[in-house]
Amino acid sequence: MRKFSAIAVAVFCLSSFAARAVSGEQLFDLLRKKMLTVKDYTAEVKMKINVSYMRIPTLAGTLYFKSPDKMKLERHGGLSIMLKKNINLTVSNMIPTGSVTVLDMGNVTIDGQNLRVLKIIPEDDQGQIILAKIWVDENSMLVARTETTTRNDGTIKMALQYGKYISYALPDKVTIDVDVKDFKLPKGVTMDYNEVRDETPKKETKNRKGTIQLNYISYQINTGIDDKVFSKK
Amino acid sequence: MEIILEAVGLTKSFKKHKAVDDLSFAIKRGEVYGFLGQNGAGKSTTIRMLVGLIIPDKGKVFINGTEFINGRRHLLKNIGAIIERPDMYGYLSGWDNLKMMAALSNKNIKQQRIHEVLEIVGLKGREKDRVSAYSQGMKQRMGIAIAMIHNPDLLILDEPTNGLDPQGISDMRALILSLSRDHGKTILISSHLLYEIEQVATSMLIIHKGKKLSDGRVSDLLHPDDTLTEVAIAPNEAIKASLAASAWSAYLQPANDNALLFKMNPSLIPSLNKWLVAQGAEVRSIASKHSFESYFLNITNDTAVKNRTL
Amino acid sequence: MIQLLRIELYKIFKRPRTYISFAIVTAISFIIQLAMISDGKSFIAFALQGVSEQFDIHGNVLNGYLIAYIILQSLLMQIPLLVALVAGDSLAGEAGMGTLRLLLSKPVSRMQLVLVKFMGSFIYTLLLIIWLAIIALFLSLLLFGQGDMINLKSDAFILLLKDDIMWRYAAAFAFAMLAMTTIASMSILLSAFADNSIGPIMTTMGIVVVLTILSNLELPLFSLVKPYLFTTHMIGWKGFFDDPVPYAAIGKSAFVLVAYTLIFLTATILYFNRKDIKS
Repeated sequence: MRKFSAIAVAVFCLSSFAARAVSGEQLFDLLRKKMLTVKDYTAEVKMKINVSYMRIPTLAGTLYFKSPDKMKLERHGGLSIMLKKNINLTVSNMIPTGSVTVLDMGNVTIDGQNLRVLKIIPEDDQGQIILAKIWVDENSMLVARTETTTRNDGTIKMALQYGKYISYALPDKVTIDVDVKDFKLPKGVTMDYNEVRDETPKKETKNRKGTIQLNYISYQINTGIDDKVFSKK
Repeated sequence: MEIILEAVGLTKSFKKHKAVDDLSFAIKRGEVYGFLGQNGAGKSTTIRMLVGLIIPDKGKVFINGTEFINGRRHLLKNIGAIIERPDMYGYLSGWDNLKMMAALSNKNIKQQRIHEVLEIVGLKGREKDRVSAYSQGMKQRMGIAIAMIHNPDLLILDEPTNGLDPQGISDMRALILSLSRDHGKTILISSHLLYEIEQVATSMLIIHKGKKLSDGRVSDLLHPDDTLTEVAIAPNEAIKASLAASAWSAYLQPANDNALLFKMNPSLIPSLNKWLVAQGAEVRSIASKHSFESYFLNITNDTAVKNRTL
Repeated sequence: MIQLLRIELYKIFKRPRTYISFAIVTAISFIIQLAMISDGKSFIAFALQGVSEQFDIHGNVLNGYLIAYIILQSLLMQIPLLVALVAGDSLAGEAGMGTLRLLLSKPVSRMQLVLVKFMGSFIYTLLLIIWLAIIALFLSLLLFGQGDMINLKSDAFILLLKDDIMWRYAAAFAFAMLAMTTIASMSILLSAFADNSIGPIMTTMGIVVVLTILSNLELPLFSLVKPYLFTTHMIGWKGFFDDPVPYAAIGKSAFVLVAYTLIFLTATILYFNRKDIKS
């Protein structure tokens, strides 16, 4: 048994080595094609925003997505809070469209996962994305991580975990790291009940990193969503 | 007779001003007790001490033999008072005021009693009007209604004729006499006017600058034999000489040249007049006032009293 | 005592002045609601400036819960004045009218009278707060609908889910009631000193204004006294709109308010029992 698994590992390594024959550009194209198979989806999600100054409970809602860049969180009477409009929370949106230059950065191992790193530079220098770095699991042809440098919204890091919808390359859980600016309102305006702050231990005040966690509970894929869904306020 | 209220050595100062100074007196059941003193003499302060509104620096008040501070709530059930002005809730009707005060008296007072009291004070038919629309006289009468709604034995009426017109004063006097005679109330009535007290009181107390000047039965204090009669005549030495030799000399008091002054019972005035005329005296006027009154006048300088008596 | 309380309530609610407070609460609420109907969007945009740079917020932000919160916040200064209108008048008004000597020459103890004045003011305040709840909360919900509530603090953005809000309002109104009871007891104390009602009403207002300023000033000098000022604790109702709710702090605030109330009440009884009624 042990022998067998040793062989299996060897075969696995070889095969991955063989895959190296695929260039970065080819790999990127394959990924994009796979993603494009999902034209739209409606997903039940739970979103948790972890930003130091925001105290928001987990928001349950329906997330609508339509390729290439339409997205909306519907909270059924509640408020929806999303990152500012330029960047959506889907992988396909973290990767530039149009013609790009792909730089192959080789393989890294993160959390025991062997991932190929690609740097993608869009040729259109007017677009929102200046540079995207993606970590690809070549075996499953899935994007495991992205790091996108945007024109206006800083650098956004995304980590994805897959489950039930792996065949569509749709994640079950997405964690997005965002840079957050400081938030401060004059006390005279808010007339705070000070006691609260004084009693909680002072956290790292300069912690400006935040995360947004999206748990996808179920997807309905390629049902053909009307554009009107996104225009509604 | 049984003593219903007794004050012993009441003393009260406000800052440096001594408002009441070692004042003692007693009121017997059934009396109408006059409490006389000029404005600011300490009447109101005394009355407030009697009902516990002002706490004395020294001295005690006894009601029916019980010290007031030991039985305030119980004792107040048997006292009805108007203090200074009959102030009420102006935005409420007379009926509402009366009903409220009845409820506060800790006695089970029936609606019937309210009607009865309104009848006594003569406000029947006006009870539904707002008190703020009442005349001063109606307010005084409503004050008395409030004071007596719980049928107390002792009524304390502080200047009940204040602000009333002559008719009102006369009505009030009749009401007080009726409360005493027909309803058997013991009444303490304060005033700065002697004649007012004189007309209703059986006993009286006079205070000046917080101190007792005099007290006793009105009939004693105002004994007719102490009436001063002033006869204005043209100066005539002969008359004076014959007077000194006559029986009238016993009543003669020192006076100026234009007048003769006698201290005697006023019933003697007609015979005195006859005698003077017989002696050839030119009598211009005869006026009498009680010696006590002139005494009171001297200390109080009360213009109202002067106007009435001279 | 119950009889005395009934009479007290009868007097309070027979007087036109009492209803001015209800009218003022209604008017202020209406004005804010109207302003929000016409100009709420830009108000929200302004308030959310800091957040909307980075986040898109969609949905009924300007809902009844938020409007009610805004109204409550605005009325923070006015309600004590309205409470003082009745509580400050309680003893001084009777003195001014001359009815105090009428009451106290009846078989009523002075302590009873003070307690009844306190209870009367309490009931009036309770009704005022209930009225406020109806006008500020329920009417706003009717006009602006339900929704998740955004609560902005100087250093935090708090979102409360709509099903998680009503109990907070119930608790907040109860706390506001406690805070206003403290104001009422202070007003009654001031009222015991005075022989006309303007003095205690104005003094109550003055104290509330000055202490509120002290409570809100960010100066080291004042931070020493701040925890001891009741105005610092009066806004404890806001704690219920925080997440997590700072129960320890709210409990402490409630304790301070109760302590102040008892101190004011005891001082009133002690002073009033010895007071010479000269009015």
